[in-house]
Amino acid sequence: MAKQTQQGAAVLQGTLDMLILRTLLYGPAHGHQIGKHIQRTTNDFLQMQHGSLYPALHRLERRGWVVSKWETAPDRNREFKYYRLTEKGRKQLLVEESQWKQMAEAVARVMWPAAEES
Amino acid sequence: MRWWQIRKRDEDLDWELRSDLELEEEEQRERGASPEEARYAARRSFGNTALIREHTHEAWGWAKHERLARDIRYSLRQLRRSPGFTITAVLILALGIGAVTAVFSLIDAALLRMLPVQRPEQLVEFKIINPDFPVNDAFSYPEFKSFERQTQVLAGALAFRQLNKVDVEVNGSSGPATGQVVSGSYFPVLGVKAIQGRTILPVDESVGGQSPVAVIGYDYWRTRFALDPGVIGKHVLINNIPFTIVGVTEPEFYGVQPGEKIDIYIPLTMTASVFPGFADAGGPADVLRAPFRNWLHVMGRLQVGVAREKASASLEPVFAQSMRVAVDSFAGLPFDSPAVRKSFLQCRLRLDPGSQGLAALRRQFSKPLWIVMAIVGLLLLITCANVANLLLARANAREKEIALRLALGAGKRRLIRQLLTESILLGLGGGAMGVGLAYWGNRGLLALIARGRNPVLLNAQPDLTVLAFALGVSLLTALIFGTIPAWRATDVDPSRGLAQSGRSYADATMRHRLGKSLIVLQVAIAIVLMIGAGLLTRTLVNLRNFYPGFNPENVLLLSVDPTVIGYKDVVPLYEQLLQRLRTLPGVQSASLSVHEPLATNVQSTTVKVLGPGGQKEDLASVNIEPVGPDYFRTMEINLLRGRDFLWSDRSGTQKVAVLNQSMARHYFGNADPVGRFVSIPGFVGDPSWIQIVGEVRDVKVHDLRESEAMMLYLPLFQLPEGGATFELRTAMDPAYVQTEALGTVRATDTRLPVSSVKTLQNQLDDSLVSERLVASLSEIFGLLALLLTCVGLYGLMAYNVNRRTSEIGIRMALGAERGRIALMVLRETFLLVACGIAIGLPAAALTAHWITSQLFGLKPWDPITLSAACGVMAVVAIAASYSPARRAASIDPMRALRTE
Repeated sequence: MAKQTQQGAAVLQGTLDMLILRTLLYGPAHGHQIGKHIQRTTNDFLQMQHGSLYPALHRLERRGWVVSKWETAPDRNREFKYYRLTEKGRKQLLVEESQWKQMAEAVARVMWPAAEES
Repeated sequence: MRWWQIRKRDEDLDWELRSDLELEEEEQRERGASPEEARYAARRSFGNTALIREHTHEAWGWAKHERLARDIRYSLRQLRRSPGFTITAVLILALGIGAVTAVFSLIDAALLRMLPVQRPEQLVEFKIINPDFPVNDAFSYPEFKSFERQTQVLAGALAFRQLNKVDVEVNGSSGPATGQVVSGSYFPVLGVKAIQGRTILPVDESVGGQSPVAVIGYDYWRTRFALDPGVIGKHVLINNIPFTIVGVTEPEFYGVQPGEKIDIYIPLTMTASVFPGFADAGGPADVLRAPFRNWLHVMGRLQVGVAREKASASLEPVFAQSMRVAVDSFAGLPFDSPAVRKSFLQCRLRLDPGSQGLAALRRQFSKPLWIVMAIVGLLLLITCANVANLLLARANAREKEIALRLALGAGKRRLIRQLLTESILLGLGGGAMGVGLAYWGNRGLLALIARGRNPVLLNAQPDLTVLAFALGVSLLTALIFGTIPAWRATDVDPSRGLAQSGRSYADATMRHRLGKSLIVLQVAIAIVLMIGAGLLTRTLVNLRNFYPGFNPENVLLLSVDPTVIGYKDVVPLYEQLLQRLRTLPGVQSASLSVHEPLATNVQSTTVKVLGPGGQKEDLASVNIEPVGPDYFRTMEINLLRGRDFLWSDRSGTQKVAVLNQSMARHYFGNADPVGRFVSIPGFVGDPSWIQIVGEVRDVKVHDLRESEAMMLYLPLFQLPEGGATFELRTAMDPAYVQTEALGTVRATDTRLPVSSVKTLQNQLDDSLVSERLVASLSEIFGLLALLLTCVGLYGLMAYNVNRRTSEIGIRMALGAERGRIALMVLRETFLLVACGIAIGLPAAALTAHWITSQLFGLKPWDPITLSAACGVMAVVAIAASYSPARRAASIDPMRALRTE
């Protein structure tokens, strides 16, 4: 079972980074918020696995695309670890976005060739 | 992020996860779930937090290091938990690794290390090839100067020559030192700097004998001048000639010949002042002018980008030209002959790599040192097998632990890695201790080779190369002894391994078989080592008992050199000394010779003989030894024909000579040589005929292993040279005569320094340094191998008996006698040893073949050595299994069965 999860995460990995970066474009957020946001926006289609969310966040931080800071949440009297997009992360998001677009179009051309002709 | 921040990061992550988890929980509660449900739902949605943490750690990129650190921590804890095992294994490994490291550091210093000079790989050593003679490396000074001018291939050339011990007088007290004369280019071309003052420079050479300056080696500065910085500018007397010390060399520079340590360097143009007799200044054989006077070692530094072959090709015409000049200069000289001319003209030049300095030491010690290295390598294998057996036994004890870990989901590879970490820690522990042992053992090794005719002084401080070697050996050793046990240990079926009494008998037997084969391996190697040690020891004994043609017992040797204190004619002094020495109480007879018996330096020349068939000459080389009256009687060398030298054989009387059997056979066949004539113009500078008055048996002149060489003895009083050695045959231990003899020398001339006093037996022993080195080391390591094998055998048998306690109990209960049980254990041991011997004997035969050239007076397949080695092994095997056998025989069947 463990193996299956890992495989799923691997497939998702490339896009997960992009989704996190895109989410952070709205402003700083903590891990739970990011996960919830992705899940809600896709109408619960993408089930966020915490097992891949946190490693992904730390990986992005190590690459310098996001920075983190413990801050008090505005609505609750408690500290959360907030992640914030850096300038480097913004550029990376553009790169990943265009890559994903190309990828999606390429896949679409293979899968539905007739649509292209018409 | 750095690895030391991991713990902090981990806490941080823990907080992050916890706060998010609580948030999730709160949200669940807000949706109306009960607190309990909320907690479970939150946990469910989070999944396995430990796994999340682990994955996040991987994202930090330090997971590998973390795992390693955890493995090391765990392994250290495991090793601490069984201190007995750990200490035993580390000690055994330290022995093996220490031995290998010690021998390697010697090999590194003697054979591998580059000279401590700039760009040593550019250096070349000049050699002369002559089809009729051994390779030679002596060049004339004019020749060296012509090489020095070949700047298109040589960036520089240097020349030097180590001369006899010089006498250095500082502030009125004199002492011997190792002196070397060098060209002005010597230090600049090598790139060796002075740490105090300056080195000898080209200008010191060019002013031709007008530059009495000396540079001293660092060690000499330390021992003779106590590192006094005021040494620069100090006036000293070298062989009674005033010199000024101008500099001290760098501490790591000992000279370009490994094994030698030069105390004092002077410009070679000063040779005539310090060694007037040798230099022959103004004479036909002037060391600075005569083109045929070959006396200097030459080395060169290649121009950048010039290959050795190319340099050699473009220097060859220069060399050929200088040979022609040399031959032309023969005209009118007494030794001129077509044969001598031909031998000069057929010489060719060869350039050898010079990065490690001159090769003499490498030639002498290369084979013995590699033999010792092979011995310690095998010893290391035994220690590996021994520790592997310990690990196997430990694996059995840890079977349950490992089965439990496998059952909990640990990967097999992960477990093997952890077990190997343990082995590597053991290996490193053993290595660290081994380096300490090696450091200590090294002094012993150096002392072993430092006594001898040419004391070998090596700079064998363990350096980075040696440490890296020790580290490499430790790791390799750990892999060798650790891999198989680790693999076997994890080969457990968790369900069976965990079951209380469901102990897998097949598994244990399998592992036991592995232990047995390791013991067989150890026995086989120990047999090889013991046979090797036996052969080498017997060789040493054979050499010591070998009759060299003279009687080495009860002879005192005493060397003096009166020319050092200014004597021009030494004969009157020698006559006076000899008269006094031979009448000392206890002295039976006395004589003298130019060289010590069994000295390494020999003079040789070509001869002409006049026999019944007319004149005869060839290029065969004959050794010349000037000796005093009664020489053959004193040395107890058998006189076959004619007479000994007499007091009346002195200058002004008929020139006479005595030859040895080999020379008589070569030139006169079976005819009587006495009364015939011989001429040696190349040696005495005089073509007149010398009458042969006697023939003696062949003796070993240089070395006990040498084959018979032709030898011509001349009366020393007709042919005086510089120094000489007196031989005193005594009635009792020569040590008793020593004080008297030294007193006599002092009484004759108080200034005359005695350069060495020893017995002929000492001299003989000193000529066997490398033999003694290999023999004693092979004995020590052979014994160690035997001991380790014995311990291994005991361990295995004891463990075996322990494991079979219940089986033996059943046998006894069924009526087996105690004697038979003991015999069963002994039989098993014997079987193992027999297998080991069966493998070891052929292996020993193969290795002994490799050392044939080192043996003396016995065949590699020496039945006495072989049977002794097997006998010792058998006795040791019985001793090792005696106690386990007794334990087996004393098992109480009732108790054994009850514990089952």
